[in-house]
Amino acid sequence: MIYTILYGFTIGAILYFISVGLSLTFGTMRVINFAHTLTYTLGVYFLVTTLAWFKGYFLVAAVVSIMAVIPISYVIERFVIRRLYGESLDYTFIATFAITLIGVDLIKWIWGVSPYPLSEPVAAQLTVGTFTFPIYRIIIFAIAILLFFGLELLFSRTVMGKIIIAALEDEEGVRCLGVNVSKYFALVFILGSLLAAMGGVLYAPISSVQPYMGLSVLLLAFAVVIVGGMGNLRGTFFSAFGLGMVMAITARYWSQGAEAMVFIVMAIVLIFKPIDV
Amino acid sequence: MLEVSNLNAAYGHARVLHDISFDLEAGQTAFIIGRNGAGKTTLLRTITGLLKPASGSIRYEDQDISGCPPEELALKGIRFVAQEKKVFSQLTVKENIQIAAHAMGEPLDQAVAKVTSIYPKLETFLNTKAGSLSGGQRQILLVGRALVGSPKLLLIDEPTQGLAAIVIQDIGRILKRLKDQVSALIVEQNLSMVKRLADRLFIMKEGKITKEINDRAQMADTRGLEEYV
Amino acid sequence: MALPSRPWFGANLIGLAVVAAGFLAIAYPLSTHRVTDFMIFCIFALSFDLLYGYMGRLSFGHLLYLGTGAYCTGLFIKYIDQGPFLACLVGIAAAALLGLILGLIIVRTTGACFALINLAFNSIGFFLVLSPLRAVTNGEDGFGVRAAKAWFFNPGSKTHMYFLVLACLLAVLFLLKKMTTSPGGILVRSIKENEERARFLGYNTYIFKWLTFINAAGLAGLAGALHALNYKYVNPNVMDAHANVGVVFACLIGGAGKLYGALLGGVVYMIISNFLPIYIQRWEMFLGIILLIIVFRFDKGIWGYVETGWAYLKRRYVNREGLEETTEP
Repeated sequence: MIYTILYGFTIGAILYFISVGLSLTFGTMRVINFAHTLTYTLGVYFLVTTLAWFKGYFLVAAVVSIMAVIPISYVIERFVIRRLYGESLDYTFIATFAITLIGVDLIKWIWGVSPYPLSEPVAAQLTVGTFTFPIYRIIIFAIAILLFFGLELLFSRTVMGKIIIAALEDEEGVRCLGVNVSKYFALVFILGSLLAAMGGVLYAPISSVQPYMGLSVLLLAFAVVIVGGMGNLRGTFFSAFGLGMVMAITARYWSQGAEAMVFIVMAIVLIFKPIDV
Repeated sequence: MLEVSNLNAAYGHARVLHDISFDLEAGQTAFIIGRNGAGKTTLLRTITGLLKPASGSIRYEDQDISGCPPEELALKGIRFVAQEKKVFSQLTVKENIQIAAHAMGEPLDQAVAKVTSIYPKLETFLNTKAGSLSGGQRQILLVGRALVGSPKLLLIDEPTQGLAAIVIQDIGRILKRLKDQVSALIVEQNLSMVKRLADRLFIMKEGKITKEINDRAQMADTRGLEEYV
Repeated sequence: MALPSRPWFGANLIGLAVVAAGFLAIAYPLSTHRVTDFMIFCIFALSFDLLYGYMGRLSFGHLLYLGTGAYCTGLFIKYIDQGPFLACLVGIAAAALLGLILGLIIVRTTGACFALINLAFNSIGFFLVLSPLRAVTNGEDGFGVRAAKAWFFNPGSKTHMYFLVLACLLAVLFLLKKMTTSPGGILVRSIKENEERARFLGYNTYIFKWLTFINAAGLAGLAGALHALNYKYVNPNVMDAHANVGVVFACLIGGAGKLYGALLGGVVYMIISNFLPIYIQRWEMFLGIILLIIVFRFDKGIWGYVETGWAYLKRRYVNREGLEETTEP
């Protein structure tokens, strides 16, 4: 059972990394970005290449991969997302899905379709009493906690953070004071993409690497954001871990039902608390 | 200072402003009155750049500003205070001012000092979340926030709407003191405010300016004006 | 509320005849089996467009109803009776019933909420046929569907299937046109435009949305039933939520809300997904780029442009005086 809980925390952490960006993009720009997990996938594939360059030094390779995602997410934001500002859902869907199509195909072209196995960077285990825990999963969880506090600090201490909070509530008001919100929204988008890439990079060694990995995670990320509240970062934190737990516990008793259970929770939340788009 | 010519604006297919033309000189405080739905808010929103005009021109200090977004206009000295009295409720009063100060490149203490000078009582609220302020306090914060960066033109939409009489007096006092610092274009339903503060008066009906009153005596005739509101 | 202007093609028999002729024509170069496939997708696209183009609600989980139709038809044939027509009716009824029940909740939502809640149910349905109901549905492997002959109709014959599906498609087109130009149908379109206004006028928009949803589900069920008969095989892919992308594209490419648009979009999408990979290896990337261009440049869909072009031609050459007189409101 303890292992199930740790598994739940790990999944929750990964879901948290991925969902932060989705939640912020929706809260600020009101755009539902179906291409969001593309950076997740890209981060992973960059990792595959950089691991080869840096001869297996995971940390360096990971950092480089995550940074490499920045120019790509900038291009996506500048040329596509910004134009979807205020657009209806159908166009947003098509445009962002088109980006996914292009991105996934590029990945298939460059790296091929067959899965890449990656080994865990930290193979060590921690023994407490009769239990042995893989340290790597604990590290992932620890990073998630750090991220949570980091974001809390960002939004309560920095001017940029305060501007985002203000804009989440009253974007017009912020603009009328002379702030160029689009610039900040773009930064937020890039931050979110970075975090998704980080989630991918951290998760890759313990999952399978294939070109469509982003799509399966995307739906889960949506569920997390809907349950937690769009644009509500604290909510995203709790719902990511909550749903991570749901998945872990369901997987224990009913191995294929984990995802479906998440969707059931999402459907229930949507029924009682429909969202406004 | 502000010249509006043949301004037309619409929401989708519905035309709201028809051929509006007027001008405002520096140092003047003009009021716009009219029934609900006359287009007063739309006029302010179009001047401030939140709504793109369908045709016509808006000139400010000899520059064409039609179609300029509000953030650009703020840097040129125009500020808009909306009807809804929305403050940044998750941030404290001081942080609300901080956003304005940051945008204008003004040091925070200076900005805070300016705001508390127009309404000293606000000083006690500096570290409270703006969301817990009363309606009147919010309105004052909004006006104060807009004054950061020394703007030259204030566009205010129904400042006294929904506020208690005492608070309205406070606001009246504040606006009177501002008269020599900024020009203003204010939408109002409260005729005593108009009487106290207006240099000029525009009456709007169904998207057009139907009457312009520049004579203080005529403005004092509140009974006569009531039919327009 | 002004009545929508009728495109020249109208609901009338000429339009239907043109469609029939079109599908007969392409049956020669491509195989009948493939065209049957196209037509089934078109029926599905039409059912989807009922929700999207007419009611204005985008669903990411419409495949649930197609899958339900396919599974129920297949299961009926497998376990109860091999009569194809009866099985189809069962499939349609099952899909419509599911739409009836789920629609009660779903139809209250809008926008992204509507899209995602449908996706959620679709995913749940997929999971259900994959795992818990494995005993009945045979899980991932699926099962074969062998329907018996009924009167003169032989489900085993590709030609017979072709004509059955064609007949269904024409019937669906006719039905939908009648439905959407009826007073109820016009109301549904006004719901898409401005639901609040319709409600203020005293209409119970909820009931109409619900009825439309049931219809859309039932028609999707029809597509599913025909799919089961045509492929003679049913497996969970028939309910795969990811495949919803295809029908969304089809309606967007063709032009949402115009019957013939959905039809055209369906054919175009089928052609693209079936033939493009043969000629262009990087077809997904190509498709993505084309879509970006369409979204940012052309937002009326192909049929929208056809209609605009047709209206222009008509004005110019048929109503010759029209050019000077026409004043746009």
